[in-house]
Amino acid sequence: MSLMKAPENTPVWTDENRCKACDLCVSVCPAGVLAMRYEPHSVLGSMITVIAPESCIGCNECELACPDFAIYVADKKEYKFAKLSDQAKERAKQIADNNYMMLGA
Amino acid sequence: MAFNYDEYLRTEKIPTLWCWGCGDGVILKTFIRAIDKLGWKKDDVCVVSGIGCSGRFSSYVDFNTVHTTHGRTVAYATGIKLANPDKHVICVAGDGDALAIGGNHTIHGCRRNIDITLIVIQNFIYGLTNSQTSPTTPRGFWTVSQKAGNIDPTFNACKLAEAAGASFVARETVNEPRKLEKVLIKAMEHKGFSFVEAVSNCHINMGRKNKMANAMANLDWIDSITLPKKKYDALSEEEKLNYLPTGILKEDNEAEEYCEMYEEIKKVHQGKRGKITQDDFKKKL
Amino acid sequence: MSNTREVISSGNDLSALAAVDAGCKFFGGYPITPSSEIMHTISDLLPKRGGAAIQMEDEIAGICAAIGASMSGVRSFTATSGPGISLKAENLGLAQMAEVPLVVVNVMRGGPSTGLPTRVSQGDVSQAKNPSHGDYKSITLCAGNLAECYTETVRAFNLADRFMQPVIVLLDETIGHMHGKAIIPTQEEVEANIVPRKTFDGPAEEYRPYGVAQDEPAVLNPMFQGYRYHFTGLHHDAMGFPTEEIETCRKLIDRLFLKVDEHVDELESNEEYMLDDADILLIGYGSASLAIKEAIHRLREEGIKAGLFRPITLWPSPEKRMYELGQKFDKVLSVELNQGQYLEEIQRAMGRKDIEKLTKTNGRPFSPQDIIDKVKEL
Repeated sequence: MSLMKAPENTPVWTDENRCKACDLCVSVCPAGVLAMRYEPHSVLGSMITVIAPESCIGCNECELACPDFAIYVADKKEYKFAKLSDQAKERAKQIADNNYMMLGA
Repeated sequence: MAFNYDEYLRTEKIPTLWCWGCGDGVILKTFIRAIDKLGWKKDDVCVVSGIGCSGRFSSYVDFNTVHTTHGRTVAYATGIKLANPDKHVICVAGDGDALAIGGNHTIHGCRRNIDITLIVIQNFIYGLTNSQTSPTTPRGFWTVSQKAGNIDPTFNACKLAEAAGASFVARETVNEPRKLEKVLIKAMEHKGFSFVEAVSNCHINMGRKNKMANAMANLDWIDSITLPKKKYDALSEEEKLNYLPTGILKEDNEAEEYCEMYEEIKKVHQGKRGKITQDDFKKKL
Repeated sequence: MSNTREVISSGNDLSALAAVDAGCKFFGGYPITPSSEIMHTISDLLPKRGGAAIQMEDEIAGICAAIGASMSGVRSFTATSGPGISLKAENLGLAQMAEVPLVVVNVMRGGPSTGLPTRVSQGDVSQAKNPSHGDYKSITLCAGNLAECYTETVRAFNLADRFMQPVIVLLDETIGHMHGKAIIPTQEEVEANIVPRKTFDGPAEEYRPYGVAQDEPAVLNPMFQGYRYHFTGLHHDAMGFPTEEIETCRKLIDRLFLKVDEHVDELESNEEYMLDDADILLIGYGSASLAIKEAIHRLREEGIKAGLFRPITLWPSPEKRMYELGQKFDKVLSVELNQGQYLEEIQRAMGRKDIEKLTKTNGRPFSPQDIIDKVKEL
């Protein structure tokens, strides 16, 4: 198994040099952990942001969906993930309705 | 710890040249995880790709890689495999590369049942060159070579591979990376020609003019046309016309593999056995 | 212990034997008259010596399989006729661009198109110079007798590895199907003189397959041995990855030409037959040269002193030597079984427009009388 060290105490982290702002990870996150922020220097004008790491349930859907090796999720054995809350689900829906952009951005 | 894709990538070439949200990247990641689970050494693996967006697949992986001419992926791979039967050879080609210009080579690779895995990245279009009709483009779609709407009937790639003699045939989509990973592992482990149709999204070229301008919409459409095999089998004949079954569609572990059969030819010419006759085969015709 | 042996065989069979003796371990091909016998013979010889031969589903697949095997590091071979070269054109270009060694035998037949499948011509000479689109630096050898079907095939394998590109060996239907006695080197002699492709044995991180001097071929290690790199037909950088960078692209195509042009002396091979005291220069190659030599003998019996210049390496052409001969000889006659394909090159090399020509394209070989009659006309 080819493994790399994860940053301390982090459920999910991103590589902004690789993200192409396709919105896919945001669209598959059930817990509203992720959203896009406006980023004038990026090609599509937006960039992935981890807005609510405390809500991350470790489902790994974002990592599986990302085509560009730009998002990683910690191992269940090394990080205690949250349980999926209704509040998190609601936030995810609002982000999706907001064209995947951060709320109030 | 997290999975370290970089170990298998030519990292100086990342980010890839593929569009944002392109399923090719998901297939690349899934493929890497599958190779890792199989425990194959990087030096023992050769990835051969054709021309198209899928053709760039081979330049991103840190294996022995070959980028061939359009459609000839399986032919090159046959030479590499037959000259090095104990190594792992994987082909990656698009639907145009494998089924149009490369149709003949795909058919004969299946027929020979040579131990190669062909991953057809099925995005229903010629993506790289801006949306020309491919042999699988849905009828009525807008393509740049048929702006009035596509009239061309389509292939069912998996049925073609099955009929041609591939001993492992499967289809999965980028919406189900875990299932795709399992299928790729089985395909690559399988001894014989493994045909895997990996259904992918091309929203920038194909999708944009066909009412699916972003990755999510294109992926939803893929969801709407695929069904796991069990559910598909329960449909009526008319309903079946507009769905593609996913899962392992054929798995024959008894069919003779070409390189193994060729070893018998070597034995005949080296005087180690008598000539090969009809009696050596169950399927004689 | 002699280093030659006497065999009774045909041109096609000798070419197949030569390939296997020269270390060829893979053949990929397709049947086409008049070259099929090469495939038949090598399909028996190769597996006997641990190699693999495969009849693919079409001509294109034949060369692709052969190039694939060569990319993986083994000496590789394909054989065909004119229509097959036409089909293989695109992939010859890939082998040239990616610098993959390969030997391609073309047993020429009557053309164009389906032409005269069972009859002779030398109609693919121009094609051998530019078989593919884009700039192509051709190395083409032409066997002029039975023994050369063997020796030129062996030479082709060593040249392909030396220059890291396809080498075309032209036979023709006459010489491919000619059956007779030939004196050829022994297998041991050939094996002792095999010069395999250069390889790099330093640390893998320092390996740059295409990062070589401007007059050198790429150094391509066999696959599966710890040196991983990329093959592509696109313009590429030192590791073989696609690039469009301005300087890299310019230097790459220049180098594909320079690696041959700067070393033509290693390629040049001619026969000069009775030229020392000749008054009339005949230029011919391949099986036509057999009739020419007989014609020269008969002409000399009548007091007409003709001589033959026979290029064996057709491309790159022996332009310097041809220029010298063009200065020395007033009367020059080009004899070929086509509409005058090498004639163009002779005219260019000699800087003369007054070269006489004897051509024939009806699928029949030259008889010595054809040539005698023409010489007498001059």
